[in-house]
Amino acid sequence: MEKFDSIVIGAGHAGCESALALARTGNKTLLLTISLDAIAFLACNPSIGGTAKGQLVGEIDALGGEMGVNADKTAIQIRMLNSGKGPAVQSLRAQADKNEYHTQMKKTLENEKNLIVRQGEVDSVEIDGENKIITTHLGIKYQAKSVVFATGVYLKSEIIIGSTREKTGPNGFKNSENLSNSLKKLGIKLLRFKTGTPVRLHARSVDFSKMEIQNGDENIQPFSFMTENKIENRAVCYLTYTTPKTHEIIRANLDKAPAISGEIKGVGPRYCPSIETKVVRFADKERHQLFLEPEALETKEMYLQGFSTSMPAEIQKEMVESVIGLEKAEIMRDAYAIEYDCIDPTQLKPTLELKGVDGLFFAGQINGTSGYEEAGAQGLIAGINANLYNKGKDGLVLKRSDGYIGVLIDDIVTKGTNEPYRMMTSRAEYRLLLRQDNADMRLTEIGRKVGLVDDKRYQKFLHKKQIMKEIEEKLETKVKVDKKLEKLFSDNEETLPKESMKLRDVMKRNNIDIYKIDKAYNLFNEEEKKFLEFVNINIKYEGYLKQQQEDIDKMLANENVSIPEDFKYEGLKGIRTEAIEKLSQIGPFNIGQASRISGVSPSDIAVLSVFVKKFKEEKKKK
Amino acid sequence: MRDCIVSISTPLGKGAVAIVRMSGKDSLPVALKLFHSKHFDEGKIKPRFMYFGTFDLSETAKEECLMVYFKAPFSYTGEDIVEFQVHGGVLLAQKIVEACLNAGAVMAEPGEYSKRAFLNGKITLDKAEAIIGEINAETEGELNSSLQITNGRLAEEILEEQQNIQTMIAEIEVGMDYPDETEELNLKLDIRERLFQTENRIEKILSQSQSATYIKNGINVALVGKTNVGKSSIMNALLGEDRAIVTDIKGTTRDSITESFIYHGIKINLIDTAGIRETKDIVENIGIEKSKQNLNTADLVLFVLDGSENETAEDKEIENLLKGKKFITLINKTDKKRVLEKKKNEIEISATTNKNVEKLKQKILNMVLNEEIDFNNLVLTNERQVQILKDAKSILEEIGQNQNLQIDVLSMLVKKLWLTLGKITGNTENEDIINLIFSKFCLGK
Repeated sequence: MEKFDSIVIGAGHAGCESALALARTGNKTLLLTISLDAIAFLACNPSIGGTAKGQLVGEIDALGGEMGVNADKTAIQIRMLNSGKGPAVQSLRAQADKNEYHTQMKKTLENEKNLIVRQGEVDSVEIDGENKIITTHLGIKYQAKSVVFATGVYLKSEIIIGSTREKTGPNGFKNSENLSNSLKKLGIKLLRFKTGTPVRLHARSVDFSKMEIQNGDENIQPFSFMTENKIENRAVCYLTYTTPKTHEIIRANLDKAPAISGEIKGVGPRYCPSIETKVVRFADKERHQLFLEPEALETKEMYLQGFSTSMPAEIQKEMVESVIGLEKAEIMRDAYAIEYDCIDPTQLKPTLELKGVDGLFFAGQINGTSGYEEAGAQGLIAGINANLYNKGKDGLVLKRSDGYIGVLIDDIVTKGTNEPYRMMTSRAEYRLLLRQDNADMRLTEIGRKVGLVDDKRYQKFLHKKQIMKEIEEKLETKVKVDKKLEKLFSDNEETLPKESMKLRDVMKRNNIDIYKIDKAYNLFNEEEKKFLEFVNINIKYEGYLKQQQEDIDKMLANENVSIPEDFKYEGLKGIRTEAIEKLSQIGPFNIGQASRISGVSPSDIAVLSVFVKKFKEEKKKK
Repeated sequence: MRDCIVSISTPLGKGAVAIVRMSGKDSLPVALKLFHSKHFDEGKIKPRFMYFGTFDLSETAKEECLMVYFKAPFSYTGEDIVEFQVHGGVLLAQKIVEACLNAGAVMAEPGEYSKRAFLNGKITLDKAEAIIGEINAETEGELNSSLQITNGRLAEEILEEQQNIQTMIAEIEVGMDYPDETEELNLKLDIRERLFQTENRIEKILSQSQSATYIKNGINVALVGKTNVGKSSIMNALLGEDRAIVTDIKGTTRDSITESFIYHGIKINLIDTAGIRETKDIVENIGIEKSKQNLNTADLVLFVLDGSENETAEDKEIENLLKGKKFITLINKTDKKRVLEKKKNEIEISATTNKNVEKLKQKILNMVLNEEIDFNNLVLTNERQVQILKDAKSILEEIGQNQNLQIDVLSMLVKKLWLTLGKITGNTENEDIINLIFSKFCLGK
């Protein structure tokens, strides 16, 4: 039996990050995938990033993950979303070349020296003392100290189109029929979720003249801190709309729609509804917008965003042909819904390790999340923690104040989810501090500590920090009230101060920013000019950033009171029964996490902290 | 953030003396920002020693009171504790609490003193269960008052206000999380206008609650005026047959007399500077000093002038003190010939013939109670809840003062507002906002 430090099951966006993180920290790692052709497959939309997801990619990158680098290599169009709404909610979104994304990631995996990439379907996992034994469909056994489950939507998955049900994975890849049962045997509770994907059309059949063109943005920073070049826009997207006829067709055929008729039992995501769901739930809307996105440069296939459906194929055709500009559209792939098994994520620790069984980690859609970026983020953390586990070290837990990754994992392990979980900026309470532009500042040191930030990246990071310090120092300069300052103030309709003031304070005026100061005083050199934005935000937002920091400090006070793993909730007087049930089910790791469990009130927490203290002191006495 | 919690630790609305207590390592620094005493020995504060001094209620208003400092760990909570003993009535104690909050203290949560006492090992482990009972009792008290709230119209209003804000958040958030669909969503982001309305309604609730506090604690009315102007005879005329409660509090820090009567179900506390009536040989300035002190605690001032003579320098000096205060000018001795010129907002009164005494009583109520009091609607008398609404109001003011806020900052403040009101309604689940986003808008690929 071949022995490894770690085995990663699944080579999607979570599995790739896990495998790379493990291999790069010196673990002999085996990455098993049902199909080598499905590595880092963009099964749904051909894009990376978007609101909140762009932040996740930035954080993966800062920690030394691969997603940002791979997205930059393969982007064919890039946009900065929310550019008019303030830095906290700005997010990068790139159209990625689907084929290249797969090819480039596969290449990176193949070139990683500690990593074995192998096609193979896993049927079971068994625990043998400290070791885990994996058995594949072909009967091959492997042994490892730790295992990362990153199986995506492949567990007992079924694709549904109209009345047709097929036991396959996404896009016709083989699914995994047996692994679910093996997980059940380990006592793991499973959920059944569903998601879906729209039709793909041939570009030559689309009348683009009836659609609105969507161009990329120029001069945008790439995802990765390590990417030197700006991303070149090489493709465009199109906007079009459904028509009353589309809605008519859908209404007339609702009895054939599995999602509506009750044929599909799995819980689907509300943020990704099928077009039939939209038409039913928002009946008064006259039209719905749809986007046409290129799947890759070397293919004519186009993805019709907003048109997810599980209607029978012939009705899909009718529906598509009723859309503006798609009257003669050729469908290349049908839309489908997919049902799959996933685990209830409240069974996990915030390190993504399974409670009760050491060394088993879970990441990605198997945890009930959705999205490439959410998967990548979890994969990276699971990989980091499997490495720390192999080395007998304490796991890494990112806090809600550290990043979107912290929010994501805390949400799913504390509150669980009853639909595929998607990251949204509205889930991050400290989002003014958790921006895409400062992801490197927030997380590079952590990435360095866990061994994923190499010297090259670290030196570059230190250099950036140094430059920013210099910028800040220059802004400490006091300026006199002279012609120059007068002009700066009058040009920007600000009332002139009486005394000399620091440039830093000049910057705080409503209509003045770092760029205007630079223009007036010619303050910064070329190198410094690259990093002005970050300093600009920090100073302009200073008061509000401070407010959030205060909220964070308050939260951390509870976060730092740990609850011992052997603490028992049963029979605690003064805590409501409902809260006791929830607390024992989740088993929070600290008072802060306990306070976020739904159904646990502040007074429950007050009482709980008393008992926890008592428990710890009695333990100390023994 | 400072580690210092504060609250009134004596029961609300009872007793002649109220105690405001702070606990936490920053208690003393916070206290010393506000309390001054000539008895401090070169800034050294002796623990467990009662100091007499003055407390700065605001830049101009001072109040005499007592302060005791308990040094950690020799205190109830095991932390530094500072207590102020102030003259009775909740209003003054509330003003002390407010000043402490402004100086950096944080409002204590229910059961927090006991909790801290336990966590600091001041209460032995075998007492833990008793403490839990205590926390529960206090939170139950909270619960009862929130139950009381759920019955009232005011409570519904707060809930409704929070829901309005929740809708605003959903509308802001959906635009940020789904920027490509914003046009499609057809959002009307008239958030500022709607927040302005919210501010008005919160102010209304606050003033209603303020009225409710008056029901509980009475309205404090100070009589000021130079000696011999007839303050005590006016007081007697007001007390008249309505005299229901007469309390004679000879304070340790102040020689004023409070007497109360009930009018339309509301207790009105009259504060007169009785101590100086007998001491004619004392210089006039003392009268002014005394008037100043009474002004601090009063909800309304009755400024008494002698109608039979011209205004004196002392009258004018007292009048100067009234700037920014609610007051009624009373022209006394109107049974004699009027010499004094007509004053704004005046009432002519005669203590001997009882002329206009009823009118004055009505005017006192009208001027202090901003809202009609609905006696079935006694809500938000809870000091913590009033503070929460005040916090909400200050967030709204912050938004109002900064017209150029980017939407990301604006959304943070609106969210904070929602969470603040959530401390009263109990709705603070972020998931509720996300649910609202999906139920209101049609989204997604």
